[in-house]
Amino acid sequence: MMDTFLTSRNVADVLGGLTNGVIYSLVALSLVLVWRSTRILNFAQGAMAMIATYIGFAVLAPTTNYWVSMGIAILAGMVLGGLTERVLVRGLYGKPEINPIVAMVGFLLVLESVAAAIWSTSSRGLPTPFSIVDYQLAHKPVALSPFALYEIVTALVVMVFIALLFQYTKVGLQLRAAALAPEVSRLLGVRVGRMLTLGWILSTAVGSITAVLVASNYFTGLTPTSMDGVFAFGFIAAAIGGLDSPVGALVSGVALGIILQFVGDYLNSNAIILVALGMLVVSLMARPNGVFTRSAQRRV
Amino acid sequence: MGPRLMRSRVVWTTSLTLLAVLVSMFATSSARSGLGLSAFFVALLGGGSLISSTAIRGAHPVVTRALISLVVVDVTLLATFRLSATANDNLAIGAAMSIVLLGLSFLTGSSGQISLGNGAFMGVGAFTVAIWANHHATTPIAFVLVLAVIAGALVGLLLGLPATRLRGPYLAGMTLAFAVAFGAILNLFGTWTGGDSGLQLPEAIYAPRWLIRIFGPGTSSLTYNSAWLADIAVLVTGVALFFMANLFASRTGRAMRLVRDNDVAAELVGISLPRTRVIAFVVSAAYAALGGGLWTLINNSVTPSTYGFALSITILSLVVIGGIGTIPGAIIGGIIYAYSADAIAWITAHTGLNSQGNVASQLNGIIFGGLLILTILFAPMGLAGIVRHWWAARARK
Repeated sequence: MMDTFLTSRNVADVLGGLTNGVIYSLVALSLVLVWRSTRILNFAQGAMAMIATYIGFAVLAPTTNYWVSMGIAILAGMVLGGLTERVLVRGLYGKPEINPIVAMVGFLLVLESVAAAIWSTSSRGLPTPFSIVDYQLAHKPVALSPFALYEIVTALVVMVFIALLFQYTKVGLQLRAAALAPEVSRLLGVRVGRMLTLGWILSTAVGSITAVLVASNYFTGLTPTSMDGVFAFGFIAAAIGGLDSPVGALVSGVALGIILQFVGDYLNSNAIILVALGMLVVSLMARPNGVFTRSAQRRV
Repeated sequence: MGPRLMRSRVVWTTSLTLLAVLVSMFATSSARSGLGLSAFFVALLGGGSLISSTAIRGAHPVVTRALISLVVVDVTLLATFRLSATANDNLAIGAAMSIVLLGLSFLTGSSGQISLGNGAFMGVGAFTVAIWANHHATTPIAFVLVLAVIAGALVGLLLGLPATRLRGPYLAGMTLAFAVAFGAILNLFGTWTGGDSGLQLPEAIYAPRWLIRIFGPGTSSLTYNSAWLADIAVLVTGVALFFMANLFASRTGRAMRLVRDNDVAAELVGISLPRTRVIAFVVSAAYAALGGGLWTLINNSVTPSTYGFALSITILSLVVIGGIGTIPGAIIGGIIYAYSADAIAWITAHTGLNSQGNVASQLNGIIFGGLLILTILFAPMGLAGIVRHWWAARARK
């Protein structure tokens, strides 16, 4: 009984959706980290992570260790994030709200073009550390492979790490204070500028891990634009959950992944993003600040 | 000048200019270029004398805008009689792009919102024209273009509804999702849109017979396609320009700028924020669709890959570099777009880059992206803003 249940179509959809959903959650989390601290929606998030992944896996020869490459990708992402905040973003605080949007879109364009100029637009497969063949149960596949399990576990570890960092460490407290009340925190001795940079570094580190997971998936591979679609779903998850709410980002990312898996299975795989767009429109009309944000009137 | 004297001057000069524009068109098209050129200069002088008078500009703004559009269109149309087929193709593509840029410029410049999905809205217009033409081959061009505008406005309304309650980044992200989703949406309706391969128009767009009869069968501009299509594109751009100039200056346009600068104040004086935001969004989508519809006519076909996310970013870059929220900025952006491929080829040739290599093929994105960042950081009003600033500084001396 249990076996037939676990290998059934609906359970397969839930498991497949969960695997996609944690990726959307991570992208959403990365966006929320930057949005909370600097009120900037980082449209170059996917492109920055993509560059970091290229650096991690292309600079080292493919024969080297997956985990070393992953580490280099994360480091490269952190350096890129910190530099971006210091050089590009710092001049944009307090400007009209379209200026940072335009600048980040320009950055996205530059990063994708530079990556294509160096590494070409052809897809590049990355080594997978675990098998992508699904587990078997009574000679039937369960829609979960060791690699998918690794994706889910990695995502959970990242989320728990970020949560612990924000809740229980002094740096986490300073990060929250700098985001919520920069003037007061400055008076109390918090180095607000540094905290903003740190927010960006954390965000791009999360982004780099996500991009490595996406790129080591056999079907996607790594191309300069491979994060565009993932970014769109991640943004949809973040916007539905509320750009201010990390918990909202995680929950709505997973929910979105599972719902869309059912849509793709029962309707049509081309309908997936249309349904996601519809969900975004409806949810934004009902709760413009996100489902998980306590409704607060925007102050003048 | 008394009001009566001024009115009679306006009437006389306007009629004279209109007449001169007509004569210049006819004479140049039918090879009597001497007469055409002199009539053209009369038109320029007439239009110019009215436009240069501050009193008239203030008292008759609509007439002034109509004359500016007319003279601009006249100048460009006359040019199409002389240009090569390639140059006319560039002109047509760039003119259509100017329409798209006008729409985005209006959205951003007057309501402070931004759209990263105008490439997809262009696609809506482009596919509307192609689908209609494949079912009703003999429809007049004006009618298909109106259809494109309606389709663009409807999709814009659908996506713009949440815009009533959204602010900047959310709306930008939503339109980005639309741009990324557009390819899949086209595939979903693959039986109409032709899936990945897109659609061909059943036949090339030739000038209608009655027009050839008026202008004479030997008319160079009507005998080959590029010039005729460039004429269409320039005419449509002129009309779009005229409407936009009036919209910018109208009550709605002023309400929008107030919403952009201070939405609380706008609400206090009784402006409906949701309505204003939706109108701006719908107008921008409709303009994008019109430009896309023209592109289908010019290219004689439509492919989904043209209307990907990259096009939306290009549109944003052109608007910002040209000068966001200004009409000259949109025209500058269109000109840049028309000649960007040539300019990049020139750079590649003169720097010794391998023209088939990775770097040369990505130069476009690197340059546009870099210019986009530099413009927004150091000259947020773009080229039009730089020129205006320089003009003002010179006048003060």
